[in-house]
Amino acid sequence: MLSRFSKLLSLTARALSVAGLVMITLVISWQVFARYVLNASPSWSEQAALYLMLWFILFAAAAGVRERFHIRLTILQSALGEKHGRWLDCACHLVVAAFGIAMTIGGGQLVLETWSHRIPALGLPRGSAYIPIVAAGAMIVFFALEHFAHEVRGKEVQAAWN
Amino acid sequence: MELTILLVLLALLLAAGVPVAFSLGAASLAVFFLLDLPVIVAFQRMAANMNVFALMAIPFFVFAGDLMARSGIAARLIQVAEAAFGRSRGGLGQVDVGASMMFGAVSGSAVASVSAVGSTLMPMMKEKGYDTDYAVNVTITAAILGILIPPSHNMIIYASASPVSISIGDLFLAGIMPGILAGAALMVVAWLVAVQRGYPKGEFPGWSVFLRALVAAFPGLLTALIIVLGILLGVFTPTESSAIAVVYTIIVGAVVYRSLGPKRFFQAASSSVQTTSMVMLIIGAAGMFGWLFALLEGPAALSAGLTAISDNPAIIMLLILIMLLVLGAFMDMAPLIIITTPILLPVVMDAGVDPVHFGVVMMLNLGIGLVTPPVGSVLFVGCAVGGAKPEAVIRTIWPFYFALIGVLLCVAYVPQLSLWLPEQFS
Repeated sequence: MLSRFSKLLSLTARALSVAGLVMITLVISWQVFARYVLNASPSWSEQAALYLMLWFILFAAAAGVRERFHIRLTILQSALGEKHGRWLDCACHLVVAAFGIAMTIGGGQLVLETWSHRIPALGLPRGSAYIPIVAAGAMIVFFALEHFAHEVRGKEVQAAWN
Repeated sequence: MELTILLVLLALLLAAGVPVAFSLGAASLAVFFLLDLPVIVAFQRMAANMNVFALMAIPFFVFAGDLMARSGIAARLIQVAEAAFGRSRGGLGQVDVGASMMFGAVSGSAVASVSAVGSTLMPMMKEKGYDTDYAVNVTITAAILGILIPPSHNMIIYASASPVSISIGDLFLAGIMPGILAGAALMVVAWLVAVQRGYPKGEFPGWSVFLRALVAAFPGLLTALIIVLGILLGVFTPTESSAIAVVYTIIVGAVVYRSLGPKRFFQAASSSVQTTSMVMLIIGAAGMFGWLFALLEGPAALSAGLTAISDNPAIIMLLILIMLLVLGAFMDMAPLIIITTPILLPVVMDAGVDPVHFGVVMMLNLGIGLVTPPVGSVLFVGCAVGGAKPEAVIRTIWPFYFALIGVLLCVAYVPQLSLWLPEQFS
């Protein structure tokens, strides 16, 4: 049940990220098109693209904890052998989870602190741009603990992306 | 003291196998707690480092490269290279280098280059009796040429990380001659190794085949012209040019070559968000780390250490080259550019080095790091595409390393190699 939810969450994050990538491509192309063809540079396009970029990067990055595509050194773990390497890997998942907790809390503070500021061209609260830090943090905690729970029992999480 | 704790903690986490982004973040946060600094600042730095318009060129150039690899553009560039370079002994090695240079001129992502060129040429090489390790050696070392040959999103990252303002147009122009030199050096080495191993000779298919291949590849090659001229003439910013490259590639792939359907499009987009999010998360975490490192006066300590060893600019340069090679072996390119540029650039500028020149040196230097273990994304992707073990590939890659390091020394100590071309345009 929980593992089906985790898979679904990871695939949803990918779908949102892909949509975000396509949208920033459209926004920036529109910016060039508008400048040369319509002779009017849109004031919102750069800010909007940056806003979207933070969302799509953090969602995909959080899913990357589940899919394990984040680059890391594995020499020591493989040198330690199956049994001891597994314990070290468990510890690594806990470090990642701890960072996820800090992301949720620190990101939450950032959202609250900057909520009253406005992003000039968009009219949105500045703090709303940082919501993905909180969301990604929570996802990272969940995915890292899922890996930890599997690893302790000698199992592995099946990748969903490819 | 805190600086030592930060660096030791980072090294421990990296060695334990915590992903690079999380190692940077967790080590920094630990020192944040130790110094009783507010955690909110850490995440402010993280968001600020990712929220840079110039860095948007990373997802776009990666996406464009991925689309080119899957939409028939790469395949047509390889056909041109095959007709042009295929006839010498071990000709497919030359074809590989030539195709990687052309792919580098339209994209700029080394990982996309390995998968695009390698997935086509490696099976061809194996079929003709070339060894797998040779196929991987040539492909991965040639892939890093794309970082030097414009467009190159890593140069954009360098310019955005630099404390002094640097023209991206100048950087792009400065990379061309070193890129061609490195390509020539790799072709020579590929030929020498091929002769030694007795690989078969190819045949020149004739001018008409060559010209037909060139015409077929023309829409793809045009990307290079659009991007580089667009930036140089000020038609659009580098970031905009990268978005235009994506749209143009989609049009060529879907309308002209008719080989880019929804499925391949989604695959390319999915693989691009994966690469981009990985790199950008490291850049974000490097923002925390870099801020702390500066607060703890790390840059001053480093430059004091370097100048204590020698005040001879040539030796300082050599020390920096070695340092970047070592760091490059352990970390990925983009985060290293973000972390080391603000630290090293003032040191080398004091020694009289031009920032554009240093940028080119850094690109090649860290590019070599992409094909060295233990962390070498290009090495690992190349091994995965070629179905080879990294250990086997590393055992025979030395001649190619020597060629690249030789070129690196030339580029580092002959500034004109980089600076002559931009001077002609200014």
